Amino acid sequence: MPAAEPPTRHLVVVRRAPYGASLARTAIETALAVAAFEQPVDILFMGDGVLQLLGQQDSQASGSRNMGRLLASLPLYDIEAVYVDGQAAAAYGVDLANSPVAATALTPAQVRELMDRCDKLLGF
Amino acid sequence: MSVILHTLNASPASGAFDDCLRAITADDALLLLGDGVYAAMAHSRAWERLRACGAPLYVLRADASAAGVLPLLEEIEVVDMDGFVALTERYPRQLAWY
Amino acid sequence: MIYSLLVLSSPASGHGARHAVQFARSALQRGHTIDRVFFLDDGTFAGSAAAVFPQDEASPLQCWVELSERHALELILCVSSALKRGLLDAGEAQRHERCGPTIHPAFVISGLGQLVDAMTHCDRLVTFGG
Repeated sequence: MPAAEPPTRHLVVVRRAPYGASLARTAIETALAVAAFEQPVDILFMGDGVLQLLGQQDSQASGSRNMGRLLASLPLYDIEAVYVDGQAAAAYGVDLANSPVAATALTPAQVRELMDRCDKLLGF
Repeated sequence: MSVILHTLNASPASGAFDDCLRAITADDALLLLGDGVYAAMAHSRAWERLRACGAPLYVLRADASAAGVLPLLEEIEVVDMDGFVALTERYPRQLAWY
Repeated sequence: MIYSLLVLSSPASGHGARHAVQFARSALQRGHTIDRVFFLDDGTFAGSAAAVFPQDEASPLQCWVELSERHALELILCVSSALKRGLLDAGEAQRHERCGPTIHPAFVISGLGQLVDAMTHCDRLVTFGG
């Protein structure tokens, strides 16, 4: 039997705040689509993207769809892991304990190690 | 599979610029295009930071020319679109910063 | 090599949409195959049949149409991005009771699965944003 090819690993890098650009939601929906097709995918929040991890997002009054709720659903879709640039989270003072989804804080060296574990990189 | 072609299409004042510099290693390559070409202006602070990353640096000719940056370049390889494609042949992974 | 392109920005603003079409042309000239161009988010504006560009500005639509005719590229607009932006094919226009199609027939509206499929099969994924 021929050895199965290792699956393509995807990394979605999100740098957008949750409500200011449609790319924020598009990035997460893209990751969900990759997972829905049973391909491995990780998400990395960098820059303003770490603001997606603020707890207690309530978008009802603004009429937007709640990004926090979308992120909270990631584990249901077998998203392998969610990571965050620890320096960016600290710079904004984002309390990861209240994040809508469990996110592992990475050092710059660990960010690079994560990128090097992935075959396809998608920058949003 | 560890090397990456970074493409930067954002000005040096952007978070994209900072994040790109954070992720890049000396084995990678960086192509400046769109508003990213302003980072190649010789003697600017952005250019000093770019050079310090140690990766080979490239700038897209058409965009540098449109921006008026072409005469201000020093020690950076100027490529056309064909050169961009050639870079993607050499570097198996691309990461877009914008 | 087999390339897949992901286009995230509108032809009306920024550089990414123009880079994508020029990159596609160069890659094909260098003998590569582009199996699919996936337009996502504001990238979907590339498929608008109604956009009018000034004569002294390159029309990205015409460039894509010519490339797709000559090289059999698949030009795919993400359905959720496209519908929000008023970019509909005949079927979607009928389904949502709009007056008619607004995209060029060289483009196909489909789901993100087409991007996932392209990513898992291509040698190179190149993303254009901004």
